[in-house]
Amino acid sequence: MKMKDEHRDMLFDLLAKSVLVCILIFALFPIYWMVITSFRTWSDVTQTDPSLLPTSFYYQNYLDMWDRFPLIDYFVNSLVISLTTTALALFIGSLAAYAFSRYDFPGKQLFGGAILGTQMIPGVLILLPMYLLFVWVQTNVGIPLRNTYHGMIFVYTTFTVPFAIWMLRGFFDTIPAALEDAARIDGCTRFQALIRIVFPLAAPGIAATGMFVFIAAFNEVLFASILASSDVTPFAIGITRFEARSQTFWGQMMAASTVATIPLLALFILFQRPIVEGLTSGSVKQ
Amino acid sequence: MSEGSSDTTSGHAVGDPESRDTHGVSGWIRQRTRLTEENRYAYKLILPAIAMMFIIHFVPIVWGFAISFMELDALYIARWTEAPFTGLSNYTRVLDPATIVGQRYWFSLRQTLIFTVGSVGGAYVLGLITALILNRGFRGSKVARTLILLPWISPIVVVLLTWRMMLLSDTGIINHLLQTAGIIDEPILWLLGSKTIISVTLTNVWIYFPWATIMLFAGLKSIPNQLYEAASIDGAGRWGKFRYVTLPQLKPVSAVVVLLMVLWSMINFTVPFVLTGGGSGRHGEVLMLFIYNYAFQNYEFGLGAAMSVALFLVAMVLAMVYYRKVIDDSFGGGIGG
Repeated sequence: MKMKDEHRDMLFDLLAKSVLVCILIFALFPIYWMVITSFRTWSDVTQTDPSLLPTSFYYQNYLDMWDRFPLIDYFVNSLVISLTTTALALFIGSLAAYAFSRYDFPGKQLFGGAILGTQMIPGVLILLPMYLLFVWVQTNVGIPLRNTYHGMIFVYTTFTVPFAIWMLRGFFDTIPAALEDAARIDGCTRFQALIRIVFPLAAPGIAATGMFVFIAAFNEVLFASILASSDVTPFAIGITRFEARSQTFWGQMMAASTVATIPLLALFILFQRPIVEGLTSGSVKQ
Repeated sequence: MSEGSSDTTSGHAVGDPESRDTHGVSGWIRQRTRLTEENRYAYKLILPAIAMMFIIHFVPIVWGFAISFMELDALYIARWTEAPFTGLSNYTRVLDPATIVGQRYWFSLRQTLIFTVGSVGGAYVLGLITALILNRGFRGSKVARTLILLPWISPIVVVLLTWRMMLLSDTGIINHLLQTAGIIDEPILWLLGSKTIISVTLTNVWIYFPWATIMLFAGLKSIPNQLYEAASIDGAGRWGKFRYVTLPQLKPVSAVVVLLMVLWSMINFTVPFVLTGGGSGRHGEVLMLFIYNYAFQNYEFGLGAAMSVALFLVAMVLAMVYYRKVIDDSFGGGIGG
């Protein structure tokens, strides 16, 4: 009887592990395929019976892709917009998240509801008003907002602040308030205590939140497709241009995709502990 | 922020001694004044966030509501303030299946429903299975957990284009594999016609399930071991433990995971937009994509706004009902508390 149980446990364990292997293949195959394709020649990519294994090491894709479109501009635009957005959203979000974590102020429930509410707004509902608002500001105030870095940064910062607040709040909750009290007894103002004590302690959480803000800004296409044409075209819009009606340069497109993906994955693997904690802290805490 | 720091300095001068003396009437009064001073400080901290959300979220929403009652088309786009108010006519046109836009609206609504239910259901089940296996904690499970998350970290547009390439009917790897395995005889048109919504949904499952996994995994970790031991003593087997300990204990996390995935799916634009190359006809055209294409191609902004408002209201009502029923029960206050 005992033997039989052990056998069944082993069988179950084997089953669980094989299911996990299948899931891993499902999860990783597209990323593998992207990298493989980036090293393929045009004729390899367009074959009707493609090979699952790497067939060639055609690194020419990585050299040619820069000439096809102003890819370098797309990257620069995306980096300027996303990095500035990240810095601003983290600063503004940290302040609000800290207040949210430490103080019981009237209207806190309403504020919390508003944060959650922003997650339900269909982008298309505010896209046109925003467009009109941008045009109105340009004609009446004289500040151009369409097709500018600062216009996109302003929009993206606002979009990402609610999520940043939610995530950062979870990190601030884990920092004991006694540390700030001690700093204030030593003569720090509230704001100094926040900057000098709380922010450094929450640094891993802030970094993790920053990564999510960066990813969100980097991936945005809806508003970018309407509000950012020509001069500030970000990578997320520019990369789709490799697919043309006449001929799609899959190899070069995948090469550009690989270049955009690998640094992010590397960053994630480096910072994964705070990122995973940050993801779950807001909702698993009981 | 300079205003804030000068104020907090004076606040500190008053605030320091009272943190020790909290007894008696004078202490109580000081506590009261300290609270309001704290409140003022808290308001200053949230002010920048509130101000930005007001301009970019609140004003455009009200504006969008207003536009939904106007006949704002190509004629009036440059001078939208003069567009005529037409009451509810945009809404009646959209909701009437007899009109062309109404017919397409209802079709897109069904596509959205398939997309949402399919993505959330698929991602939740797959995420739960993955989390349960990872929770068994074997050698290499940490590495597996990291690898599982990679799809969620990769830039969405990039992975969507990769999926698009894989789903191509003639040169795509998916049709090739299915044909080699003998599952299908003829290549399937994944990105054209009625299969499109399946492709879009499956791809979205792929994007969401890593997140569901990590959330549910954290939920599993927080289940006290004693519960399983107690269940063992009561003679519960593997299934019994899952049914009577794991599932009920996971309810709070599941509530958050499902709610957020439902909302994200309903208003998802990027996935259907990029995967279908901006829309490949009616199939796979979920509401967000339909509204975008219809409003911005035909310059029917009033109609577009009416459709968006309808979508927003559905999302909000859904979230509120759900929030009351499920999340309040589990968290006693949720995000606000």
